[in-house]
Amino acid sequence: MLFQYLVLDILKNVENARTISSPYHLLKGKRSGQTIQDVGIFRLHSYFGILPTLTRQVYDNEIQKLVEHQLIVVSENSFQLTKQAIELLQNYEPLPLNGWQYRGNEQIFFSRLSLTVQSLSHARENNMAFSPIQKDEEIQRWVRHFLLINDYKSGLLNHSLYDEILQSLESTQINTQAKEIVVKRLAGYQETGFTWEQISLEYQMAEIDVQIIFVACLHQWLNEILLNTKQYPYLSQIADKIRVEIPLTGSAYHTAMLFKKGYSIEQICKIRKLKQSTIEDHLVELAINDPTFPIEQFVKKEDIQLVLTTTEDYNTKKLKILHEVLPHLSYFQLRLALARGENSCN
Amino acid sequence: MQLEQLLQNHFGYTSFRPGQKEVIEQLMNGRDTIALLPTGMGKSLCYQLPAYIFKKPVLIISPLLSLMQDQVDRMKQYGEKRVVALNSFLNREQKQRVLQFLPQYRFIFSSPEMLMQEQVKSRLNQMELALIVVDEAHCISQWGFDFRPDYLKIGGLIKDRRPPILALTATATEKVLEDIRHVLKMDDPYEYIHSVDRPNIRYGKKIFHAKEEKMEWLIEHVLHTEGPGIIYTRSRKRTDDITTQLLNHGLSVSSYHGGKDAVDRQFIQQQFLDGSLEWIVATNAFGMGVHKENVRQIIHDSIPSNIADYMQEVGRAGRDGKDAVAILLYGDGDEDVAHYIAGEDLPNENQIELYVEYVRRQVNPKEMVHDGLISETSFRVLHYWMEHYSMDEVKSIFRQMMNDKYRSVEEMLNIVKSNQCIREQLVHYFGQTLNSKPEHCCEHCGLEYQHFLLPRITKDTKRNSTTWQTRLRQILLGTD
Repeated sequence: MLFQYLVLDILKNVENARTISSPYHLLKGKRSGQTIQDVGIFRLHSYFGILPTLTRQVYDNEIQKLVEHQLIVVSENSFQLTKQAIELLQNYEPLPLNGWQYRGNEQIFFSRLSLTVQSLSHARENNMAFSPIQKDEEIQRWVRHFLLINDYKSGLLNHSLYDEILQSLESTQINTQAKEIVVKRLAGYQETGFTWEQISLEYQMAEIDVQIIFVACLHQWLNEILLNTKQYPYLSQIADKIRVEIPLTGSAYHTAMLFKKGYSIEQICKIRKLKQSTIEDHLVELAINDPTFPIEQFVKKEDIQLVLTTTEDYNTKKLKILHEVLPHLSYFQLRLALARGENSCN
Repeated sequence: MQLEQLLQNHFGYTSFRPGQKEVIEQLMNGRDTIALLPTGMGKSLCYQLPAYIFKKPVLIISPLLSLMQDQVDRMKQYGEKRVVALNSFLNREQKQRVLQFLPQYRFIFSSPEMLMQEQVKSRLNQMELALIVVDEAHCISQWGFDFRPDYLKIGGLIKDRRPPILALTATATEKVLEDIRHVLKMDDPYEYIHSVDRPNIRYGKKIFHAKEEKMEWLIEHVLHTEGPGIIYTRSRKRTDDITTQLLNHGLSVSSYHGGKDAVDRQFIQQQFLDGSLEWIVATNAFGMGVHKENVRQIIHDSIPSNIADYMQEVGRAGRDGKDAVAILLYGDGDEDVAHYIAGEDLPNENQIELYVEYVRRQVNPKEMVHDGLISETSFRVLHYWMEHYSMDEVKSIFRQMMNDKYRSVEEMLNIVKSNQCIREQLVHYFGQTLNSKPEHCCEHCGLEYQHFLLPRITKDTKRNSTTWQTRLRQILLGTD
């Protein structure tokens, strides 16, 4: 179901503009100009590269199902969503995915973590003769190094890492089932992990949906860890270089670089010979993509809260209405506040 | 020191298994050796112990990357750190580092392809080796089932004053043995040929006329007899279909094939080893690297492509020496599938002509793989032969190979169709004679399954109701 929603949601965004294959490339995270451009144009950041191992066959099957259920109509060069599909999408609550920023690197994070956990679990039993669940040599080298520099033999690391995982995962903004899935993919001494098939049977959902929830949970968890690195010293080591620091393309990327170097909006306008509104667009994009981007320098904390409660009270994210209710805030400030809301609320 | 003492010191065993001591003694005298030992009979000890005696590196040539990785993993698991896999998984930098320190390793695993690189070859020729081991040596023979062209070049690897060569295999007919001697340029080798018979395995057979009957029988059988067991199928799809059916009947079973997620495969192996999975339904991708002693049943859902594969898969049962049952299922037309799969990797005439066409247009024929015209495996075989022979010769070579593969399927089929003792036929195929038959030998000699298969005890499948917090705690901190 989830996968179906996801594909439909992407299709809705690119309707009349792109082919039926474009969601496939987007979900796989194809690094071609077209796909990357589309991420920006159609605001598809959250979905980029979340299913790197998706096969064409699985995707085509799903499209076939959408056609059979009369959710889309496909003609030779284009496709159309049916009224039914639009209605269906209204019930869809988007998962808190952050594909553009993690680009599949969340899998590296989890590989490192699961091998670390497996090793610590065995070290505790003084039994280091086990078959590593990660076969990738790069991952194995990384974990070996991590364990050595953190004195894994003392047994303290088990406790520290347990505390960190417990705390950070409890603070992660996602439902319990998603957290259960992630922990079921860990293994240890006399504790085997569960296959996608086994998890999907237990929860009565498709394997691919389980995998999508898994990725969403990793994204949210990484957000939590990277926003509070001081609180989670070990996990943030494991999450090192997992997030793409400036996950923007083209013009917005140049603006972001200048901004990170400390230039003001006015200065960037002059250097780049662009209008202020354009630079503001770029900064909003940066804020959407980077949950650690300090928007508080542009809009006060209380105002952010105010914007978020207003969107709830009026049940809208339309800028025009918000501006009427909160006339003291500029459009730029409203958009920044909304960007932050999207990052932390869901 | 006595060999037994060394065995005790290094491996903690008090006695050798059949053949091991004979082989090691011959190697210590510097004699080339061929050892045919069935799967699970401790082949690898034959080169591991000498490595500690000679105190020089042992080079092990292994045909499959996954097999190599498994052997390296296992050695590391048992605490041997001076072991390395020199293969194409290493990047440039890693490879340089490994080559630089090569003499310091105790065990060097490598593939024939890698050993043919000039750099590697010259490095190996500079250093002293205790032993060269050719694992899965039947791959040398083009009459073998897994012929690997690069294996043919091993003979010319080390020029002069080479150490003894140990050729290891679990399955080889006399014809294949002759190829091994010849290609490896072995000098009057000592040969230890263990009987391929495994008396504790009983051979059953069931014939079906409709496809549905097979599935019904499988479900009934698995529901009522005790595992652990493996069901071998010929396709990923069939693997998944059977698994779904068995899962629907509440059995703890999992499918296993090359299309599965890598971590999932680890989990499945783990669960099978610790007993939480009763059955595995798998393609031939399952088995290698799975060292489970108490497998009680092997069921073949369809006939394998040849007798050697069958023996290898069946050999995974009863490694603990206790009774086990192998049941071969056959449905009308199964041989068609076997024929198709057997010939799948052989290049066809069209591909041979395309190869010539690419060369004529001065395009690297390797591009055929990128252009999606041929699989990587097929190309490797095609490329080898095209470098040595003309197009017409190559065509006839492949026709010949195709015929051989077809014949292998027929040989397998004959065992199914004949009413003779299955055990005897299998042993004869390898040119050996059977000295004695166990009681309840096979389907034709009379076999009552209930003598060997316990009725299945329905287990309470552990409801997994622990919270993620509890599970996490269990893993990292244990129960205390």
